Parts: sequence; structure tokens; C-alpha cells
Amino acid sequence: MKKGIMLAIAFISFVMFVTTPSFAQGTIKVGFVDTYSGPASVYTFDVLDGFKIAIEKVNAKGGILGKKIEYVTRDEKFKPDVGLAMAKELVMREKVDILAGTINSGTTLAVADFAKKEKIPFICSFAKSEKITGEMGHRYVFAVSENTRMIGKAAAVVLSKKPYTKYWIAGEDYEYGHAVGDATWRYIKEMNPKAQLMGQTWWKVGEADIGSYITPIVQAKPDCLIMGTGGSGNLNFLKLAKSMDLPKQMAIYLHTAIELSNLEPLKDEAPEGVYGTANYLYYYPETAENKAFVDEFKKLYNRPPKVGALYGYALGQLIVNAYQKAGAVDKEKFIDAVEGLVVDSPVGKLEMRKCDHQLMLPMFFGVTKKSPNYPYLIAGDIVTISGKDYLPTCDEIMSVRKK
Amino acid sequence: MDILSAICSPVVLCQILMGLSRTVILFIVASGLSLILGVLRIPNIAHGSLYMIGAFMAYTVSRLFGGGIAGYWMAVLLAPLGVALLSFVVERGIFSRVYDREHIMLFLLTFAFVLVFGDLVKMVWGAEYRTVPIPPFFQGAIPILGMRFPIYNFFLLLMGPLVAILLYLLVNKTKMGKISRAAAVDMEMVAGVGINVSRVFCSVFVIGCFLAGLGGALVAPIVNVSLGMDHTLIMEAFLIVIIGGLGNIWGALLGSLIFGLTQSLGILIWPQFGIVLPYAAVIVVLSFRPTGLLRSTW
Amino acid sequence: METANYKYVIFALVIAAIFAVAPFSLPRFYVYLIALIVTTGLLSTSLNFVLGFGGIYQFHHAVFYGVGAYGAAVMIMKLNYNPWIGFIVGPLAAAFLSLVIGLICIRLSKLYFGMLQISLGSLVWAIVYRWYTFTGGDDGIHGISVPPILESPIGSYYFTLIVVALSLFIMYRILKAPFGSILQGIRDNVVRSQAIGVNVRRHQLIAIVIAGFFAGVAGVLFVVVDNSVFPDMMFWTLSLEITIMALVGGWYTFLGPMLGAAIIVLLRTFVSTMTEYWALALGLVLLLVILFLPEGVLGKVFEIWRERGLGRTGEAERTKGTDYA
Repeated sequence: MKKGIMLAIAFISFVMFVTTPSFAQGTIKVGFVDTYSGPASVYTFDVLDGFKIAIEKVNAKGGILGKKIEYVTRDEKFKPDVGLAMAKELVMREKVDILAGTINSGTTLAVADFAKKEKIPFICSFAKSEKITGEMGHRYVFAVSENTRMIGKAAAVVLSKKPYTKYWIAGEDYEYGHAVGDATWRYIKEMNPKAQLMGQTWWKVGEADIGSYITPIVQAKPDCLIMGTGGSGNLNFLKLAKSMDLPKQMAIYLHTAIELSNLEPLKDEAPEGVYGTANYLYYYPETAENKAFVDEFKKLYNRPPKVGALYGYALGQLIVNAYQKAGAVDKEKFIDAVEGLVVDSPVGKLEMRKCDHQLMLPMFFGVTKKSPNYPYLIAGDIVTISGKDYLPTCDEIMSVRKK
Repeated sequence: MDILSAICSPVVLCQILMGLSRTVILFIVASGLSLILGVLRIPNIAHGSLYMIGAFMAYTVSRLFGGGIAGYWMAVLLAPLGVALLSFVVERGIFSRVYDREHIMLFLLTFAFVLVFGDLVKMVWGAEYRTVPIPPFFQGAIPILGMRFPIYNFFLLLMGPLVAILLYLLVNKTKMGKISRAAAVDMEMVAGVGINVSRVFCSVFVIGCFLAGLGGALVAPIVNVSLGMDHTLIMEAFLIVIIGGLGNIWGALLGSLIFGLTQSLGILIWPQFGIVLPYAAVIVVLSFRPTGLLRSTW
Repeated sequence: METANYKYVIFALVIAAIFAVAPFSLPRFYVYLIALIVTTGLLSTSLNFVLGFGGIYQFHHAVFYGVGAYGAAVMIMKLNYNPWIGFIVGPLAAAFLSLVIGLICIRLSKLYFGMLQISLGSLVWAIVYRWYTFTGGDDGIHGISVPPILESPIGSYYFTLIVVALSLFIMYRILKAPFGSILQGIRDNVVRSQAIGVNVRRHQLIAIVIAGFFAGVAGVLFVVVDNSVFPDMMFWTLSLEITIMALVGGWYTFLGPMLGAAIIVLLRTFVSTMTEYWALALGLVLLLVILFLPEGVLGKVFEIWRERGLGRTGEAERTKGTDYA
């Protein structure tokens, strides 16, 4: 019996030793918790790659305040309980200075709550729940990605000017789907009082065959269909839309319909004429900064950058510049420095808004169309909506936080 | 709602056809599951994973042959064979050694394969979305009484009965089919008559898995080929097999019909919660016929 | 026999002492990890109460765990009750749900029971997942307030230890009592048990409710440790993971599942830092255990002891009985 116990203890200690924290001394440590496996990872790897570009140059010059910026990643496998446990491990064992992540809103909210208790800054790098900087926002959580409230308002800014009055909402039955559909509708109604909602259709997340859901919508003949799908649900829907010739029968709006993550895998099976919004298009605007960023990204990673790359790059920029401004690797000083900070990015100057810790990204509104220059569809008729025109106001945010 | 005019309307017809094309896929997968359950008495949770592997293999094969018509048909042919080969290896290598164990062990063993296959797919194909292009011949939609119905779904509606007929012939008219049916009812007697039971098991298992792969290959063009396909499908397949009667292939057909149609008509009648109807149907069936609608082989 | 008893007690005291001083000697992360392990261990022990000792195919045990956790979370966050009340409501809700689901499924046997339980459990999951106004939907509920004593890692650690120890003790006593013996008798031979006048259904139902109650307790402990709930807590893959823990540890023994939980949680934590293919690792572990170690780690240990003639004091142990089928 004793031998067995000794053996067990030896084994456990060995396992723990072998996996001791991996950071060198004297570095700034960034801990990423995100989904690096499964379909969502196609987005999240871009975040890391964009982040790496932002910190590479700085590290080559010796880092910030004499310290290099290092990062480590943990895979939450799109499970919030795993993500939370990983975040705890990063903070309590790896002792990171900053937390970043994730694409899963559930994890992000749980980690944000943990960050508040631990008093460590946590920057949301992809999740879109409006609660992150809205209802559940606080001093220690930031977001570089857009949220559903912002998406809805941006879409409404353009759609409300069009002659559509009869709307239908459809999408996947989960928080993001409902949030983006409801937010879009809410703002459209606000900006265009004549708009009416004819009905809603919701299907299970990951539902394979959504044809049966679409035919009743076609019959109802709305002017415009607001879609609330995400991830693979987008691809599923877009494919069906093309095979049923949907854009010819009604206007369709889907957030990220014009984004590369959806158009690239579909190639010529993507439908033309679908309205969409996106926070990054690598071919627009054709500014020097954007071109330089895209070229470097393509050189390093052999593919054009998708929206995640912008988030990651902005994240890196914020970290680099905030520590510089703060003058010390201190969590509270970092927060004070990053509030209101403006950084450069491929899409121009971006400000980290002080009142709610939301990065003010520009939003691009366009329509899908074929192009002779690319093997996939791109965005046409692009309208740029600047951050201050579509972010909810500080007052709006403060009032939802009070509730 | 005026019931009579509603029933004869184009929308309802379209919905029914949509539901039926879904039924086809469910039936192909569930019949394989039922076959394995009936003869080998193994609840094969990994059946969903094999379906997913079938879809991914279809993607690769169709890419190899350059997409288009040739790519598609090669995919529908080779992907299920690939899945069958994989299942053959697994059966001979591992399952055949543990047939004498308790059922729950076999159940957990198949779950081990769900985990292993899931990560293997991730390793081999990576994590991105894949789409299998619908072959040009099947693209587009045809108008049915004014509603547009995708041609590919029509194709599925033809495949369904074809597979059902082939399965019927296999089970009832071939020698192997008859042996399998006998084995499902009384294994010992079959062995006593001198038939190599182990080989029967192997063939049935491989055929069942072939069907799973076929379902995956057929559904690939209209669905996202991605990780997680296995989890969503397997629960539905199991429920279908249970309400149909364990081991009964016609039960699987009946179950698939119930599932597919209640879902598509449910959405029409009750857009908010129509999705719950198939599950409600399952509960209703099991309350009145706990062992399934048709006779099970257990 | 008495010296063996003595050794056992000293061994137990040593272990208890180690656990008691852990917060002061180990880094915070490990304190959190231990709390997580014993909570999960309680969950898998409660599963084994009906699975290993009752022979009941409880395929969706995680539902009761989730309901216990959500019950507490909703009471505290949405209905604004005192956390202590939430902690009591959780396990009661779980017990109630197990009664309902048990009543529906009990008419069926074995595989049908298991599959029906999975479908009913999935229905509960689907409801929680979709009712986001009340349950937070797929986001879950976060920042659940707990009583101030339990807010610190140390406070929650001790609380968890005490509750788990108490729960294990209660379950153990039940299994040693006549009820437990009858349960195992039912597991081994239903027909004979009926022949001697045992009300099989009633016994099984009571066992299921007890197991569900303690699963709910484990759920509440998760809330104490992590202050969050997620719908994944009720998903069928978790149920299978718990079953794997019980198997790996040894579901013929009482403490096996706890050991299995420790092994799996530790493996998961450390393997995940090295590779992203944790599912593959878990699948391989399961495969190896089924093929080569079906009695589990603890089961194997006990087997070795028995062979060496070391007397063991009464462990509620499954005799190698007949096939489940």
C-alpha cells in the first residue's frame, strides 16, 4: 500500500513538474484563452496572428520598458467551464499580466467576472455579446470586437434609409442569434417608425437542413429579412439562399455576409446581392497602412487577413502603447493608461472609449458581388460608418449598467 | 386557418417535400444504426462520427476529382467505402474482442471512438469549414406551384426509396440478410447450425457503418461539413431507432418519417416552438408503446 | 483484522490532515483544483450510487447536476433570494427532477431506460438553453453572489471539503444499510429479489432520487467554487464523462469514482496545457481501461490486496455478479 501511494505521489509531482509555468523572467505576459479547436478556430487563429504582428516589431527593439512581450494560449474548446478553468490557471499558475479572449460569449462573461475579482485586465478579442461592455461591464473588462448592440445600430443606420417596411427576423436559436436580430430590429424601428415586424423564425444551432424553415418565410413575402446566424450557420444559410435564389425575392441582411471568413469557403456558391456589415475588409480602404498590414500578413502567414486579424492587431497595439504610457507593468496603471487611448491600425486611428472600455471600430456596410479579380465574392457599394455614429452612447451604456 | 385550403397549398407541399428530404438522410443513417443494434446489440454512438467522417471524405474525394459531376459521384461512391473500411478495421481490431462483455461496456467503447474519431477528423482535416459544391447538374431550384424547391433535395427524394429498396432486398432476399435476421433473433441457434457468427457480426457492422458514411456523403453538399456534425445527428438517430423499435429497419423508416415531417410541418404551424414537436412525438410514442412502434428484435 | 482497522483509520486521518493544511502550503491554483476535483468526485460517486451499486443505466446524470446548479443560480440571481436558500433549493430541485424523470423511465429497463433518460434530459437542456431571459441561455449565469465566508478561495475550499465529506458519509451509510444491500441484490438478480418480496421499482426510484439529490449538491458546490453556471453542465457528453470517471476509478468500489474524478480532472488540466487533442487522449484512456482495466484503478488495487490476503474492512463493494443485460 505504501509503495502504491509513493508511486502515485511521484507520478503526480512528475506531471506537475513537467508542466511548470513556461514564462521566462522579466517579460510582460499575455494569456489568451480561446477556442483553438473546432470550427471557431478559423477565426481565432487570425487574432493571434494579428497580435503577433503588432508585438513583433516592438520585441525586436527590446520590448517595452526593457521587457519583451510574451504570450501563451489555452484552448477552451468552445466550452465556458473549460475556458473559465483555463483563465484561472493562467492567472493563478502562469501569473499572466493580462488576459485576452475569447470567441465564446459565455466564457467571456465568466472570465470577465473572474477578472473583476482578481483585479486583472481582461480584453475581449472576439465575442459579441453586448453584455460584455454593456450590462456586465466594469473597470477590468475591455472589448476590441464589436458587439450585437453596435451591429444592430450600424445596420439600422443604412437599412432604415431604404424603402423597406416589412421585416422578418430569422436565425439560430441562441443568445447571439437573438441578440443580433433583436438589436437590428430595435434600432430599425427607432430610426424608421413605419417598419413592421411580420414574424420570426428560429432554428436549432447547427441545424443541418434549414430549407423547411425558409419556405414559409418566402411565402410571407417580407421586404427585408434580418438574419441572426453565426459561424457555420452563416455558411449554411448563404448556400441555401443561393440555391433558392433568395436575394431576388427579398432583401437580406446578415452581419459578416461581406466578410472573408464566410465568402472565402463558399467561393462561387455564395449568393450575390446580400447586404452585410463587417469590421474589416482587407481590400478596402486602399490606404497605405492597410496595404502594408495586408502585405506583411500575407508574407508571414500565406493568406489574406480576416476580421480577427484586426482585433488581434488592435489588441497588440493597445497593450504596447498603454504600457509605454503607464511607465510600469502594473495592472491598475495599465487600465488608467488604456482608457481613452488612441492607436494606429490598418483602418485608421482607433480609440478605446473610456466610459465603457469599447474599442471604436469603423463598420463597413456593403452588398455581396462577384469580382473578376478574386476567386470569391467581395463587398460592393461600400459605405463606411465611423465609430461615433453607431456605437451606443455613453448614457445608453450607463443606464443599462444601472439596471 | 382554413384547414382544407391550407393543406393543399403550395407552401405545405413544399414543406412536406423538405421534410421528406430530411427524412431520407435520417433514414439512411438510422437504418445502419438499427441494423447494428438489432444484430450485434451494440448501441453505436460512434455512428454519428462515422457520418461526419463520410461527409469529410466526400469533401476530399470531390476535391481530388476537381469538383463538378465526376467529383461528386466519386465522392458518393468512395466516401462510404472509406468509412466501411475504417469500421472494418475497428471491428476486427477491437470490437470483436469484447463482444462477451456487458452492454454498458460496449456502449462506453463506442463512446471512446466518438472522442477518438472527433479528434482524428480535426487532425486530418483541420478545423475550418468545408463546403462540398453541389454538382452543376443539381444546382438551382425548380418551381413547384410557385414555390422554389432545390433540385438537389429532389435528388435526395429519389435516393431515399432507392436505398430503402436495396436494403429490403439485402435483408430479405440475400442469404446473408437472412442469416443476419436469424442472428438477431437467436444468436446461439445460428452458431449451433454451424455459421461463423463472428463473420456475420463483421459484415453487419460494416454495412451499417457504410450506411452512416453514405448519409454523410449525400448530405455534404447541402450542409456545413464541420466538427460537431456527429453530436447533433446521433441523438436524433437514436431517438428514431427507439421509437421505431430496436433493430427494426422499417421502424427506422417510420421513425424518420415521423421525425422529418413533424419537424417541417411543426415549423409551419408554430414557428416559435415547432422544433419541439419531434421530441414531443417521441415522448408520446414512448408513453403508449415503450418498446417502439414496430416489433424490436430484442 | 483489528490492526487492519487501525491502519485504515490512521491512513484516513493523514489524508484528512493533508487536505486541511493544503490552502496554506499549496499555490492558490491547486487549492482551486482540489475543490474542483472533490466536487466532481461527489458527482461521479452519486452516479455510481445507482450505476455501480444499483445496476441502473443512468445515462444522463449530468442533468441533475445542472439543475442543482441552475436552481441555486436562478434563485440567487434572478429571484434575489439569500444564497443559503438557493443552496438548499438546488439539490431539492434536482431530487424532484430525478423523481419525475425516474417515474417516466422506470417502466423501461436497461438500454431503453438509459436512452429515454438521455432524451428527457436533453429536453431539459434544450429548455434551459433557449429560455435565456430566465436562465441566461447559452451564455449561462455569471458572477453569482455567494455568502461572504465562501467568497475567498480558502472559504469555498473548506466548505466544499466539509460538504463533500458529509455527502460521501451519508451515501456510504445508506449503502451499508439494508437498503443498500437490497439495491445491490436487485442489481444482481431482479427476479430473485422480487421473489423474496422486494418492491423493485420503489427501491430503484428511491435510489435514483438520492443520487439525483447528491448530484444537485455537487452542482451547488460548483457554483460556490466557480460562481458561474453554463448549459453545458447538462449536456449528454458530460454525463458520459462522469461515467468514464467512475469506470476509470473502479465502479465496483465506493471511493473508485472519486479517484477516477481526480485522475481525469488532473489529466485534463495538465494535458490541455500541452496539446489541443484532449478528446483523443480521453478516448484512448477510456479504450485502454475498457480493454485492460475494466475494474478500474481502485478495483485493481483491491484485487491485488485480496490476492495477497490483506484483510479489508467493510468497503461497500460489488461482487463480481452477473451481466447487466
